[in-house]
Amino acid sequence: MTSQLFKLELRLLARERAAWVLLALFAGALGYGILNGSRAAARRHEAATTLIQGSDDFLGQVKQALGQQAIDPKALASRGTVAVLPPAPLPLLATGQSDLSPGHESVVLWRLSASGDTRSELQNPSHLLTGRFDLAFVLVWLFPLVLLALVYDLMAGDRESGTLRLALSQGIRPWSWMARRAFARSLHVLGLAALATLAAGLFGGSDGTGLRLMVALAVVLAYGLFWIALAVAVNAVVRSAASAATSLGAAWVLLVLVAPTLLNATVETLHPTPSRPELVAAGRKASGEAEKRGEELLNSFYRDHPELAPPGQQADFAAQHLTVQSEVSRAVEPVRQKFDEQLAQQQAAVNRWRFVSPAIAMHEALTDLAGAGYWRHRAFREQVNDFKKSVADFYTPKIHLRQALTLADFERLPKFAFREEPPAAWLNRTGTGLAGMFALAGALGAWAAVRLRPAKLGALAG
Amino acid sequence: MIASIARKEFLDAWRDGRFRWAAAVMLLLLGVALLLAWQQVERTRAERAAATAMERENWLNQGEKNSHSAGHYGVYVFKPLPPLAVFDRGIEPFVGSTVFLEAHRQNQAAFLPAQDATAMRRFGELTAATGLQLLAPLLIVLLTFGALAGERERGTLRQVLSLGVRPRDLVLGKALGLGATLALLLLPVAVFGAMALTKLPGGDAGGGWMRLAWMGGAYALYLAAILAVCLAVSAVASTARAALATLLVCWAANAVLAPRLATDLAQRILPTPKLLDFETAMHKAVQEGIDGHNPRNERLQAFARETLKKHGKTRIEELPFNFDGLVMLESERMANEVYDHHFGKLWGRLEAQDRVVTWTGLVAPLLGLRSASMALAGTDFTHHRHFSAAAEQHRRDFVRVLNEDMMNDTAGGHHGGTAGRELWEKLPAFSYNPPPSAHALRAATPGLIVLGLWAAAAWVALLRVVPRLKPH
Repeated sequence: MTSQLFKLELRLLARERAAWVLLALFAGALGYGILNGSRAAARRHEAATTLIQGSDDFLGQVKQALGQQAIDPKALASRGTVAVLPPAPLPLLATGQSDLSPGHESVVLWRLSASGDTRSELQNPSHLLTGRFDLAFVLVWLFPLVLLALVYDLMAGDRESGTLRLALSQGIRPWSWMARRAFARSLHVLGLAALATLAAGLFGGSDGTGLRLMVALAVVLAYGLFWIALAVAVNAVVRSAASAATSLGAAWVLLVLVAPTLLNATVETLHPTPSRPELVAAGRKASGEAEKRGEELLNSFYRDHPELAPPGQQADFAAQHLTVQSEVSRAVEPVRQKFDEQLAQQQAAVNRWRFVSPAIAMHEALTDLAGAGYWRHRAFREQVNDFKKSVADFYTPKIHLRQALTLADFERLPKFAFREEPPAAWLNRTGTGLAGMFALAGALGAWAAVRLRPAKLGALAG
Repeated sequence: MIASIARKEFLDAWRDGRFRWAAAVMLLLLGVALLLAWQQVERTRAERAAATAMERENWLNQGEKNSHSAGHYGVYVFKPLPPLAVFDRGIEPFVGSTVFLEAHRQNQAAFLPAQDATAMRRFGELTAATGLQLLAPLLIVLLTFGALAGERERGTLRQVLSLGVRPRDLVLGKALGLGATLALLLLPVAVFGAMALTKLPGGDAGGGWMRLAWMGGAYALYLAAILAVCLAVSAVASTARAALATLLVCWAANAVLAPRLATDLAQRILPTPKLLDFETAMHKAVQEGIDGHNPRNERLQAFARETLKKHGKTRIEELPFNFDGLVMLESERMANEVYDHHFGKLWGRLEAQDRVVTWTGLVAPLLGLRSASMALAGTDFTHHRHFSAAAEQHRRDFVRVLNEDMMNDTAGGHHGGTAGRELWEKLPAFSYNPPPSAHALRAATPGLIVLGLWAAAAWVALLRVVPRLKPH
């Protein structure tokens, strides 16, 4: 009986022209999202590989030059190194923050404490405001809309028209009837979403991203399951198809449009980011004061580090600059740390409250899995900061002691190579998100099952 | 008759539990959005004012140094937020808040507030503007989908028409009643906007009241157009359910799909140049001239020859001023021509992209409204460009004063002697005057035209379908 119902529902769906139009539009949107994502990913890939290639070529030239003669470390330090974040592991899945957070940073010894321009590409600000039509957009925003359009009327319409009594009199268990109906009606949409996710991974993913892709697939299905469970739950209580449609529409608006903006407003109010302009002005103040005390600072530095004092302690400009710079870094470090702390707290709050709406959990999981979210960019920032320290540690003694660089130093030259997070870290985060979404779907389904117990059949049929 | 129908619709709406809930949720959201935005705008303004004061102190207390070295020390200026950002923050989170002004280089505004926020920002921001742009139309859909189709289904339409009520009066009465309901609901937002102008310092700078009035007009046109579209759909749809489905699809197309598709279209037709290409071209033009055939060295050599000729001297040392200072002035002038050309082209491109999006509003009215609303609030790209241009003008003035000082210093050798606080005080602090309301209105014109066309077309369409209103 139940498999017959499933087949019947599939046949009914096949005869709805509107359903086919909707499915075609959804497939088109998924394809367009992937295409758009791949264009943006190709641009970022090209930019990153050009920069990495440039760095490699330069290192080759340095090695060659060092083979011929010793080099003044100041000359090499002035040229600097570009620290590059390699292309994301699954870039087609989500653009995330990759159009906003810088994907490379120029590290020059003389400007280690300066806060320079932090953008790595020209962007129209209105485009950043609007966001991209990428796969994540289709999956987070449109996927539930399409699902709801197909499954909003699972029982309410039958209750309205009176066919529900007839159906229930056949001895069907209402919950399993509705579940099969929902499954039959959403099968194509779920299939399309899963296929698109797989395609995004297979055509645009880097090597060794199979596990990320599998988790992404599970996240997409869990998100779909949540909306189906919601439709089942709503149908278990409302009296008419129009009420079911308005309730589910309202739920979509609240969960996808309103909840994320409310959460954003809340976390920004609870953990406000310190003022960037004040940081800039404070940094300038510190550097002005340090510059005035330049000679005094250098002398006290040599008192603390007599091993680095050159013969006769003649302070040259470079040595003085480095001492001033380290003093400025020391002065503004607490303010700079406050930035990272506040942002980390905002992110922690988002993580804690992401289950307020599965759309938030889904968005967080997809950007995280794509490698375009907060975490990978934070890892990049932290690694660049460590790299700056190693640049300072390498060059500072040599400049103070006026030691030239030789071929023996080449292998010890600081070079930036981004280390990806271990899988356990992102698995832990996305796994929690996934479990949360399944739990929400399960809770809704269980609640609907209780409402649809055969014992309540009379009330159900209306 | 129209008045009685309007009164009945007005009462009906307020008695409808669903509407009351939806209206309460929306009012609550708008209230929260306005209060949070108020707090944020006040905080940001205070922070930027504090940073400006601190930076002025830094500049004045930089100590004795060579004037050209002071040009490299430079000045940071911070962008003030317009008061109507309380209502519509526009692109503010996505443009830099800080510009570094230094000798030789025109820099772009750096530090985007959105870079210091989580990815939740990308879902959009809760502002009164987004509330009215996205949620108010949904409320109208909820109010109107059954207005005519529902009456037809219930059979009351046949009864009303049989009483001799003209279909036109019926529809106008309903529109009036529902419009009044909506107006009453949105009145507090306008009051809050007026409060923002009176309470926030500098509220009326840049023609605040004029901007607010036009903004009110833009939103009224948008909501009036949507009201007419919804009533027209309800008039022709066979059932209330069909009307609801059609209207929800239209809403999703307008509010969710259109902005991103229009942005893609603009980017496709008029691509944004790559940063690397932009900077390389600019650097090349500084060195080789805008046309690429006029090397900087040759131009400066010719300039030296001309200067000597003008003063009737044969050697640089014989000139009555520090020639290096004059060269600095001349090379700044040459570089500025390049910056005007390249930044002008880039900013022109971004504005053209925004215009493409606005005119796509002929298909989806939200795009017209968004552009008009941001322009009138002072948070669109044309206002950011105005600020950037003002900051750049300040840079040029301050570098010119420093270079003139160097030019007049004939004793100090190559780069002149040292200067002190006296010279630093000669350079006024940067104070930014926002553009007048005429600028905002000019920027908002395409959006307002789009909205006007939508409102006119929607009402004409409604009045054309009404006579064919079928009772069954």
